Amino acid sequence: MTTDVQMTVNGARHRVAVADDDLLLDVLRRLGITSVREGCGVGACGACTVLAEDHSVSSCLARAVRYDGVPLTTADGLAEDDDVVEEFVAAGAMQCGYCIPGFVLMGHELLAQNPAPTREEIAAHLEGNICRCGTYQEICSAIEATARRRQAENERRSA
Amino acid sequence: MLGETRVAAGGAVGERWARTDARAKVRGELLYAADQPLRPCLDVVVHRSTRPHALIGSVDTERAMAVDGVVAVVTGAQLYKLFGNALMTGPAFSDQPCLAVDRVRYIGEPVAAVLARGLAPARTAADEIEVDYTELEPVHDVDLAVAGGPYVHDVLRPSVVFGDLKHLRGKRDTNVNYEYTLRRGDVAEAAAAEGGRTVHEEFWCPPTHHVPIELPFTAAWRDGDRLEILSATQTPSYVRQSVADLLGIPLNAVRVRSAPLGGSFGAKMYDRLEPLAAVLAWTQRTAVRITASREEAFLLTTRHGAAVTGSMTADKDGRIVAATADVRYDTGAYADVGPRITAKSGMVATGPYRVENVDVRSRCVYTNKPSAGPFRGFGVPQVTWSHESLVDELARECGVDPAEFRRRNLLREGDVAPVGTPMHSADFAGCLDAVTEAVGWDTPLQREEGRLRRGRGVAVGVKAVLTPTIANAVLQLNQDASATLLISTVDMGQGSDTIMAQIAAEALCLGEGQVRVVAADTDVTPYDTITAGSRSTYHTGNAVRRAADAMRDKLLELAAERFGVAVTDVKLTGDGLVSAENQQKVSIPELLHGHFGARGTTLTTEANFTTSWVPYDHETGQSERVTEHWFAGAVAVQLTVDTATGRVHVEHLAVAGDVGRAINPKLVEQQLTGAAIMGVGHALFDQMVFDEGQIVNGTLLDYQLPSVLDVPDKITPIIVESPHRSGPYGAKGVGETTIIPLAPAIANAVRDAIGIRFPRLPLTPERILTALAEQEAGA
Repeated sequence: MTTDVQMTVNGARHRVAVADDDLLLDVLRRLGITSVREGCGVGACGACTVLAEDHSVSSCLARAVRYDGVPLTTADGLAEDDDVVEEFVAAGAMQCGYCIPGFVLMGHELLAQNPAPTREEIAAHLEGNICRCGTYQEICSAIEATARRRQAENERRSA
Repeated sequence: MLGETRVAAGGAVGERWARTDARAKVRGELLYAADQPLRPCLDVVVHRSTRPHALIGSVDTERAMAVDGVVAVVTGAQLYKLFGNALMTGPAFSDQPCLAVDRVRYIGEPVAAVLARGLAPARTAADEIEVDYTELEPVHDVDLAVAGGPYVHDVLRPSVVFGDLKHLRGKRDTNVNYEYTLRRGDVAEAAAAEGGRTVHEEFWCPPTHHVPIELPFTAAWRDGDRLEILSATQTPSYVRQSVADLLGIPLNAVRVRSAPLGGSFGAKMYDRLEPLAAVLAWTQRTAVRITASREEAFLLTTRHGAAVTGSMTADKDGRIVAATADVRYDTGAYADVGPRITAKSGMVATGPYRVENVDVRSRCVYTNKPSAGPFRGFGVPQVTWSHESLVDELARECGVDPAEFRRRNLLREGDVAPVGTPMHSADFAGCLDAVTEAVGWDTPLQREEGRLRRGRGVAVGVKAVLTPTIANAVLQLNQDASATLLISTVDMGQGSDTIMAQIAAEALCLGEGQVRVVAADTDVTPYDTITAGSRSTYHTGNAVRRAADAMRDKLLELAAERFGVAVTDVKLTGDGLVSAENQQKVSIPELLHGHFGARGTTLTTEANFTTSWVPYDHETGQSERVTEHWFAGAVAVQLTVDTATGRVHVEHLAVAGDVGRAINPKLVEQQLTGAAIMGVGHALFDQMVFDEGQIVNGTLLDYQLPSVLDVPDKITPIIVESPHRSGPYGAKGVGETTIIPLAPAIANAVRDAIGIRFPRLPLTPERILTALAEQEAGA
């Protein structure tokens, strides 16, 4: 069965016809959003991560039809001055870069839930994402740096 | 530094420039091959063999053709009628058809291809194909395959790529497609000397998979008498030649474009999806796209499983006097580059030690499994697993500290390696000293802590760079002083675009962001042998350096002409060109504008860098110049073994590589660290498991990869720099250096912790618990 749904991606609305078994990953890529990528097809690597109402979802396992009207965020749609992105760039938290958008979104999700995560909490949150190049240390450092930055900004604002 | 090194005002080499594409990667805006806009393409899905070894009777495609959306179904037999033996491709042996012709040789081998409008009908139709097989006896075990039949191939078919394989043409009744021997001195005599000690062991490294997270992808389309390919490949120049040979068309009728790769580690090179995409697009006069699933990617290539029977002998003074290695590489159903791996690793199979008596036999063996190919380290980690385990045991036998024992025996500058080639810019001792110091090797260790046992281990690695090879660079200096660099090196995460930009910028005093590297496109970028084997920084880097030096010379000439002074009087600086004699100055934009009389013009230079070798002797394996340079690395580790769970926990991993000179220390550290983390996986859990030829863990739910939780508590990457006399600014590559000795360093630390030697990888909790139970029972 095909349904007309409204995909809301990075604030833009798209009306698309999706089959019941269309994967969210494939529909997003059909919309030209290529920061969302297949790495395993079984929800085990995190390269296809999107945020759905601020919660991470493996779009390779998700049926698109269930995301009718749900606000979705992908890494390419983050603000130009996004702090997580800036800290990833500053930390050199990328090698081949294929998996990195997924880690950036996981960082956003974690910091929204826990503004001051420990290194262990960061690692626990990123466990389901694979960086085959082995850039984990820089990725964790970038998320820590973002937390510190937000804390400093909050202190400045409240001062 | 020696040789052609000239001082450039530079300020680029040695700097931690950000990757040229850092922001695009983080935001996900970088386009990998499958992300690029394409003309409408038919999707291709293959039907795969369900048998490890069988003759193909008939292939029934009728029901597949009837699936809505299917445009064509193509079989290997149909392609063979059109292309004959040209259908058989491969870098070392022309033995692999893109679709099996009359016989399948592994479970998962492509037998027929469906072209359809959309992936879903293509997949449905591929499942509808029925193949009638007559089963043949398969051979799964590498040593059974060495011993005799059944034979995977009736006859050996060396390709034309490597001239020295010619003598194997037409050889029958064997699964051994290549054998390299290294002989020096007299092993038996040395081993029999009085007071000597010998250790020996049977080692095994299982097959593993590269698992770059980007999946394999190739698109191809026919435009009249031309074929264009967009592929996730490390080897665009090779693919152009291979496809031109296959289709029987000129090189300029084939255009191969690559894209930034989402990792590769050896998985995306030589002939992967490209031959199939090419013949389908060509014969069907259409555009096709092949997107492999993760499960299919596991079938495309693997790292060789390898059995090594090794020994090492020390004399009464603790000098290593003899070493042997009998290596059997399981290359699967097709040779791919296995014969080269067999030779390249055979020549260093006794390690980075001064040994006068060596006997190495390294064989490449067909079995009925997916084809094994190149993987970060090119077979050398498998032989290093042997020599670094042996030397550790030998040190213990001799009652000498394992690090000190190695230090006494390591090859030094100017020493001649067992293969006959002198060492240069390979500071093994410096690497060893650095890593042992980093982990506090000589400081006391708290060996027991509850159920934990703590230990330290060390290992050293050596590899010879691929030789001979060819690199080219074309450099355009634009009138506004930005530069465009045309090379066929593929950036797959190692950061080659950034490294090459820094090398070009150094000679021209350009700044960060001023040099752009064009993605490999055989219509535009010049020939480069391959992006592999850690060769690009040195080889392509040298071509880039030469092109940049030539550009600087041109600028000096133009400025001298403008100033009316001698060329030797002009200097290129960050502010432009300056005359020492009369203090005249001109910026690059002014100079080029003045010279050409127009804005937007370009000044072009080009350069080639080609290396040569002396082929090794077929009997002794000896060569006075077998390689252009050496890679040297060392790893030291401190870890705990949990005696209750069998789990290994790495507390500190120190990894060092002699890189000659670090063009970009940050990127070097990422290679040292990234290779080490991959190596931790190989040491502790990473392996492909086969049951009668069937992969049983070929999905990422089942195949374990290092996650953030597997990262050691502390990693210390250490850059050692002993400049290479002909490296660009002294530099050499680094991509493989620390993966080579990683697994044995961990196993040596486990040995130190619990007193058990593990000759088989990986060191899973199950293996460790079993061994601890046996140890306890024995005690």
